Parts: sequence; structure tokens; C-alpha cells
Amino acid sequence: MMVRQRHLALPVAAAIVAGCLAPLAVLVAFSFYEVEDFDLVPAFSFRAWGELAVSSTDWFLIGKAVLSGLSATVFTAILGYPVALALTRLATSGKGLAIIVLLTPLYTGEIVRIYAWRIVLGGEGLVNTLLQGLGVIDEPLKFLLFSPFTIGLVLTYNNLPYMVLAIWVSAEMVDRRLIEAARDLGARPVDAFFRVIFPLTTPGLAAGSLTVFALAAGEMLTPSLLGGTSGSTAMALVDNLFGTAFDWPLASALALALLATLFLVASAMAGLLLRFKGARAVMGRV
Amino acid sequence: MEKRTEPAASPLLLAMRGIVKTFGRSVAVDGIDLDVPERAFLTLLGPSGCGKTTVLRMIAGFETPNAGEMRLDNTPLADVPPERRPVNTVFQSYALFPHLTVNDNVAFSLKLRGGVADIAVRVRRALDAVHMADFGQRYPHQLSGGQQQRVAVARSIIAEPRLLLLDEPLSALDRKMRGHLQIELKALQRRLGIAFVYVTHDQEEAFALSDIVVVMNKGRIAQKADPQTIYNRPADSFVADFIGNSTLVEGRVLERRGDAATIETALGAITAPAAEGLAAGDAAMLVIRPELLSTRGEGEATFTGSVSNCVFQGERSMIQAEVAGVPLRFAAETPYAVGTPVALWLDASRSFITRIAA
Repeated sequence: MMVRQRHLALPVAAAIVAGCLAPLAVLVAFSFYEVEDFDLVPAFSFRAWGELAVSSTDWFLIGKAVLSGLSATVFTAILGYPVALALTRLATSGKGLAIIVLLTPLYTGEIVRIYAWRIVLGGEGLVNTLLQGLGVIDEPLKFLLFSPFTIGLVLTYNNLPYMVLAIWVSAEMVDRRLIEAARDLGARPVDAFFRVIFPLTTPGLAAGSLTVFALAAGEMLTPSLLGGTSGSTAMALVDNLFGTAFDWPLASALALALLATLFLVASAMAGLLLRFKGARAVMGRV
Repeated sequence: MEKRTEPAASPLLLAMRGIVKTFGRSVAVDGIDLDVPERAFLTLLGPSGCGKTTVLRMIAGFETPNAGEMRLDNTPLADVPPERRPVNTVFQSYALFPHLTVNDNVAFSLKLRGGVADIAVRVRRALDAVHMADFGQRYPHQLSGGQQQRVAVARSIIAEPRLLLLDEPLSALDRKMRGHLQIELKALQRRLGIAFVYVTHDQEEAFALSDIVVVMNKGRIAQKADPQTIYNRPADSFVADFIGNSTLVEGRVLERRGDAATIETALGAITAPAAEGLAAGDAAMLVIRPELLSTRGEGEATFTGSVSNCVFQGERSMIQAEVAGVPLRFAAETPYAVGTPVALWLDASRSFITRIAA
């Protein structure tokens, strides 16, 4: 479509590439600098890269970022599919309302949400009080707050809207007659999902997954304020190195290593999802 | 021409009784009874919004009736989901799975069943039946509309349903392709011996294909009969108006004698076969089909008037003549100039006096 007009995208493409590559180039340069008496000195030193290479803490944190990104992606996808498919069946007015409900948490601001979670999950919080009142538990559940569980829960909650929106847009484009045709040909609802709906919504799933993965893997505030002792992140370490520790070369090297790792994982994820026939059927005709 | 053929008495396959379907406050299907015999080609014919597609969707299981009962092979269908009904559908939009090849589309129902050994052979056979055997590796978007519809038909017959539902399957195709596929569908139906329920708004298509035509109007059945009866003896003025180019002239029955009646109209008193139950004094409609009017005849002309419109259609021209304020349509071999005086002879013994539709 409109192949001859492709050059019109050039200025924007150039701006995006420049805006993306220039800061990266600065980071690469900084990673070879040296720090002398709280001053950045241009040099060609491998000191930062050497330190990074042997630092088990740094690689543990990078791995943790990947893991929390992947788990948020998987959980939001599992929860997001039923929500997105239910949305496609609403009347137009219902869809408008649903979007408002879906997006409201995003407008609330992260700090507000984080403190709200503390109130809900704390030792004398909503969940514990309720469960104790019902006699389900005697002591407050400690793992609800300041634990890996909390981080997983809140990262899933925070990112669910992005996943739902992406799958929903894709699901709206699946002709309802195809689902009827599948049922007509003997597919139970679950068969229709796995043989027709899922393959044809993989582009949306891919878009949602890449978004959620990037956001969750790079999240710093939620783990540090709700994760307790398990709340350390590579991002927080980068922040610390750029700030208090004033080790810009190591901060740059760590940031680049994190970025490269996330990029590789995201590419693998996209490659995997877009290999589905459904994705090719949908994207091939656009 | 006037011979009335009753549909062959076959065992009953599908029985619908008192079926009602409403969407919000609008009534789509308003209490219909419908029987589909085994091996029948039955067509639901009517204008858009008459409820014909809703009837089809209820048989398929996509819609649930608000009232009434449906039985297939004498088994109630009420609690049977679409996937467990021995019924398959050919959709108007074809609804081929875009991410599957032609082979995988056609094999879809057999693969779901599991344990079917000869899938490849049966796919081949189904595609052979619709002359698409060479296209198995293609994807739907690589096929023309006519080819996609053939694949859709193959996909829906491979599981050997008891009943095949076709929802305006040819409406998106050009005239020539439609003609080809009509002939093929009819031949396929005879060969397979599967009952077809076919939905269309095209009366020529309905007549060409069907053993039984069911004309629907506003959610009800206006007439159910073989094509010739529908054409020659329309049950009411709606049917008469919908199925042809006929001129309908309103009047009042003067006298009834056996199968015939005399009706007083703006064109004068005319005696013709009449619908059952019409009696002297009833308001009724005289149906004059174009082919019953001739510009040549013996004795005195039935009507005289002047040409008010002429549409050239190639092999013939459709002429409209004003007679006593009534526009009469008839076919002629050559075009007529507007204003030309014409004398017309009516073969009244083949026209029909019918009820006025509610």
C-alpha cells in the first residue's frame, strides 16, 4: 500500500533513529571514561567493563530484570486474554466504559498506587483483616507485603492494561464469523480459542508482550518500595552508580549490558510469537 | 405450465414449531412452523430483514429461539451447542480461516474429531467435488471469491452433515460465476443426498435451485410451495410483488365460481383463477405477469393504452404502458417509443387473483 510514498516517513524515521542512537553513543563513550577525584576524565579504559564482567551481583540483577519482565508478561497475557475477549463482546457504550475502568489506574500515578497497595496488603491491611475476620487465618500473612510475591503481583497489575489493550485491538479485528465457522465445524469454545482466536491475535499478543516486558523489566519504584529486602533492581543500581557512587563509566556499562540483554530477550520473544501462522496471515495482508 | 408438483414425500429431517426470535424489542422471527424433508433443497426467500438468516442461524445453533421447538431427526435441538449439531454452514462471507491453507481449512472438522485416519484422502475428495483439488496448498487470500466459496462448500460437506445451511453463498459473486456455481451446487446436492437449506433474496436463484421455496415476510412464512406454484399462484400480494415483474391491480371480487373468480378493477372486470377462500365482496389483487400480455391476439384487445416507459434489456425490452391509470409491464422483442399507442391481449386464464397481504 502506498509504496511510492514511503520516503515521506524519512524525516520521522531519521528523528527516531537519531534520538535513539545519540544517547546510546554517549553511554558507550562514558563507559570507557575514567573517574579521577570526582571528575570524569575522557580515556579509553576497560576498567568499568572489566568490573562488570566479574560482578556476580550485576549479572544477578540483570537476570532478575529479565525474569520479572518475563513473569509479568506471562501473567498479564494469561489474565489479559479473557478480559480482552470479553471486551470484544460488549456493546459500543460498554466498551467506552470498559476503557475508562481499564485505564483509570494508569492515571492515578505510581506512588499513589504503591501506597494503596501497602494499605491493602499490609499486616493490618485489608486482605489480612478480612481473612482474620473470616477465621481463615490466625496470624497476618507476612508474604503479602515486602516480598517477591508483592513485586510479581503489582507488576502484573500495573501492566495489565497495556496487555489487554494490545490483545483487544487484535481480537476486535478477528471476524466473528470465523469463530462461528469454527464452532459450526465442531470446535468447542476452547478449541475455537486455540485454533482460531489465539493464532489470529498473536500480533496483538506480541505487541502487548514487548510493551509489558520492557516496562516491567525496567521497573524500579515498585520493587524498591514494595519488595522489601528482595526489592533491589539493576535500575536502582544504575541510579545509584550515576548518583551517589559517581561511577558513570560503570553505570554506563551496566545500563548498556542491561539494554542489550533485554533487547535480545525481546527479539527472541517477538520472533517466537510472530512465527505463528496466524501472525503471518494477519500481518502479511496489511 | 400450470401443473402443480407437490414436493416428494420424504421422511422428515428437521421440524420447527412455533419458533419465535426477538432482538431487544424487534421481532425477527414471529412464530414459524417449518419442515425440512430428507434430501430436500429448501430455499428461504425474502427481502433483507424478513428473518430468513435468523432462521438459518437458529438451525445452526448460533441463536437461541425465545419460544418454540426444533427437532432434527426427531431429537430436540434446544440444548445442543453448534459444535454438536450434525449441521454445517456455508457463510455469506465464506469465513475461511486466513491462517490456514485450503487443505487445513477443509480438514478442520476432521482434525477436531481426532482419530480420523484418512483425512488427506477425504480432503482430496471434498476438494475434487468442488473442482479445487489443485489449490490445497494455497491460502484463502490467494483465491478469488468464487474459489473461496468452493473451498467453503468443501469444508462444510467433508464431515457429511445431515443438513447443510447456505447463507446467501453466492451473493458476493458476479452474475456469470453465480450461474456456474448454482448449477454446481444443485448437482452436488443431488449427488450427496444431503438436505440443503438455502437463504437468498434472489428469486431467480431460488427458483433455479429449489424443490421447496419458503417466502418470508416480516418474520413470518408468506408461502411455502414448489417454485412453479409460488410463481403461478402466489399466496398473497406480497409474494406476487416480490417474485416477479408482475403488475398488481387492486379490486373487489364480484363472483366466485369454483377455482376461478371475477374481479372488478380499474382495468374492468376480469375472470381468472383465484386463491382459495376468496369470496364475492372480498378485496383482492389481480396479478398480471409480463409474459401474459401480448401485443398480438385474436378478437378485440383486452386493453388499450400508451407506452410510458421502455427499458432495453438486450434480447428483449421491458415496456410499461398506462392503461386507465394503471402501469402494465410487458416484454417486447423491439423497443417502443414513449407515447406509442398499444393494444394488449391478456391471457387471463393464466393470471391469478390473490389475497392482499396483511
